[in-house]
Formats: sequence, C-alpha cells, structure tokens
Amino acid sequence: MDEDYEVEFVERGDRKALFLVRGVTPAFANGIRRTMIADVPTLAIDEVRVIENSSVMFDEQIALRLGLVPLTTPPAEFDEDDVVTLSIDVAGPATAYSGDLVSADDMVQPADQNVPIIELKDGQRLELEADAVLETGKAHAKHQGGVSVGYRHLQRVEVVGDADEFEESEPNIVRGVVEIDGELVDTAEFDNDLTQKFPGKEVAVHDVEKAFVFHVETDGSMTVEELVNRATDSIESRALELEDAVSL
Amino acid sequence: MMVPVRCFTCGNVVGEHWEEFKARTREGDEDPEEVLDELGVDRYCCRRMLVSHKDLVDIVSPYQ
Amino acid sequence: MELTVTENLEQELRVEIAGEDHTFMNVLKGALLETEGVAAATYDVNPEQSGGQTEPILTVKTEDGVDPIDALKTAAQRVQEKTDAFRSAFEQAA
Repeated sequence: MDEDYEVEFVERGDRKALFLVRGVTPAFANGIRRTMIADVPTLAIDEVRVIENSSVMFDEQIALRLGLVPLTTPPAEFDEDDVVTLSIDVAGPATAYSGDLVSADDMVQPADQNVPIIELKDGQRLELEADAVLETGKAHAKHQGGVSVGYRHLQRVEVVGDADEFEESEPNIVRGVVEIDGELVDTAEFDNDLTQKFPGKEVAVHDVEKAFVFHVETDGSMTVEELVNRATDSIESRALELEDAVSL
Repeated sequence: MMVPVRCFTCGNVVGEHWEEFKARTREGDEDPEEVLDELGVDRYCCRRMLVSHKDLVDIVSPYQ
Repeated sequence: MELTVTENLEQELRVEIAGEDHTFMNVLKGALLETEGVAAATYDVNPEQSGGQTEPILTVKTEDGVDPIDALKTAAQRVQEKTDAFRSAFEQAA
C-alpha cells in the first residue's frame, strides 16, 4: 500500500496557516494535531535567580510571567538538558518588557518584544537571571508551541436544485473551508451562510473522505512549517523506535 | 494587576497587544472591536483577556 | 518508549508501551488495522479507576500463520511510510 498524500495551503503565514491535507486517515491527522500541541519541545524560562525585586509583584509571579513569554527555538540546535541563560535588569520608573530580556544565546530571543512583565515605580527595580529549558507542552503549557491547532473535515457543497418557493428560509451555516466546484472557499466570504452564496437554491453538503483542513497557529517560538515538520519527525522517530524494539 | 501574558483558554500571547489596545481604546476613543480586529486578536477567548483587564499597579503600589 | 510483553501467543500479542499516550497509540492502531493478516488491534490506556495502571496496553490478534510481532513491525514501518509521505507532500506545498 503506498500513500498518496496531497497538501494545499489556503492561508499561509509564519505564525498562522490553513492547509488542506488529502489522503490521510483520521487517526493520522489526529496524531499530527496532538503532537503539534503536546510533543514538540520549545524553550521557556523555568527557573529564575532573583537578585533584586522591589516591584509590587512577588518573585514567583514574575517567574510565571517570564515563563509564559515565548522564546525562539531554532530546530535541531538544542537537546533536552540544555540550558539557556537570560537576564533582565530594569530600574523604575519604567515598565519591564519581554524585549528587555538579554539572552546569552543569539538564536534564543523573546518572540514578542512588547509583553509587559511588570510596571516599576520610582525606586523599584527588577534584576534577575533566568534559565530557559527545552520541554514539551505535555510538561507545562508554556512549552506548547502550537496554539489553537485543529482540523475540520473538508466539506463539499453542491447545488442540487431550486429551493421550495414557499418554504420559510432558514440560514444554512457552514464553517471553515469548503469545496465548491473544486475550489477551496473560506466560508467567511459569504458570512458562513450558504443561503447567501446560493440564494434560492437547494444545496447538499457532504464530508470529503480523508480530507482535512488544518488550522495551525504558533506562539512565535517557531514557524508553522517548522512546527508541522517537527511533529512529523516526532511521530516518525517513535515508530522507528518501536520498529527497532520489536526487531530484536 | 498586570495584563496576562497569554490567553487563559488558548495560550495565544495577548500581552503583546495590551499597551497599544490601552492607548487606543482607554486613553483614545477608538472602538475596541475595530482595534482588536486590527491587532489580529481574533478569538473571543483572547479578546475578553484585553477587554476585561484593568491595570492595578497604581492602586496597590502605595501599600508596599 | 519501553516495551513489556505480557502475553505472547501464536496469534495474540499483548504488550505494554510505557511512555506513550493516545497521540502515538491511535496512529499505531490505525496502521495495524490496515496491515495484512491482522484480525484485531486495540489499545487501552487503563483508566486510573482500574488500579492505577495508566500506561497503554496494545493487543494484536492475527489470522492463521501470521506472527503478531511481525505484524507490529510492519505497522511500525507503515507509520514511517505515512510520515514520509506526509512530509514530502507538505514540503512540496510549502
């Protein structure tokens, strides 16, 4: 049995993408989805050494906020036990931002620069050192690279005839991306309502077998492409490990 | 106190947009709905994070 | 991933795959069911009510003359074929 897969992008950006995959089984699609959420490791701050914190927040509150800041995680550069040190030193009156974090490694930087960490008043100061570690979303949500990752069955919409003239008209809602005459159409274009796209027509909506429209967003620690590739690698390496274990 | 870094529900980073949102809607007079659309905060779980937030640092700082 | 075989018969295999969850087990089960000679395949991540066991247990039953271990090996290869095919399809589109 050979696999005949087909991927087509509907929307494509660094941090957000929609793409259609044809030919995969529901089990495989779900495996990819779950891996993107829970099994692709990213770097995040996990331990802080506070030198001075005279802000209105406790050390552990600051540590939690720093942990949630996404850090860029280049592929295949880091191993499980690697530690990247970052530091921050801001004196009030000022606001400490995620962009004020100074990383010891050029490849590892805060993905967003304007996340307020803590507002400092006159005479207050935040100075600390933090260790970022590589972990998976399974261990803590701050390591979750994929945000709102999901898929929908692709639906095909066909006009089957004219609508009953005297029937009360009701909206016919579909969501996501649908296939109309072989074209992929975002349902937002017609307000998710098929009666607006085909007024006075009767339409039939069917699921297209083995076709899934993935919606993938990342927190900025990597691009969507990298996330998908690393999820695929993760499943493959586990299958290989199983094969080796069984082949003895 | 301070704006949450991420959306509680989906994990999207919303703290990034707080200062612009605050400047345009609380201090300016733009429509929050339009500002959120422009900022790319699409989901209602993320939108409520910004809409319902209030900075409290100024209020608690005298009691340090 | 740590394997512990709890039952190994001619046409039935029961193996605990420690460290995995639905993510991989369901993909594997799907591949097993597509594999020739496999009569039944399922896995159970025992709910905690059943004594604290939470590692998934895979059960494979095969038809006459098919070694379930061979079937498992074939299925593991199949998963890799799938990931290979998906990766190249994705890269082609990207």
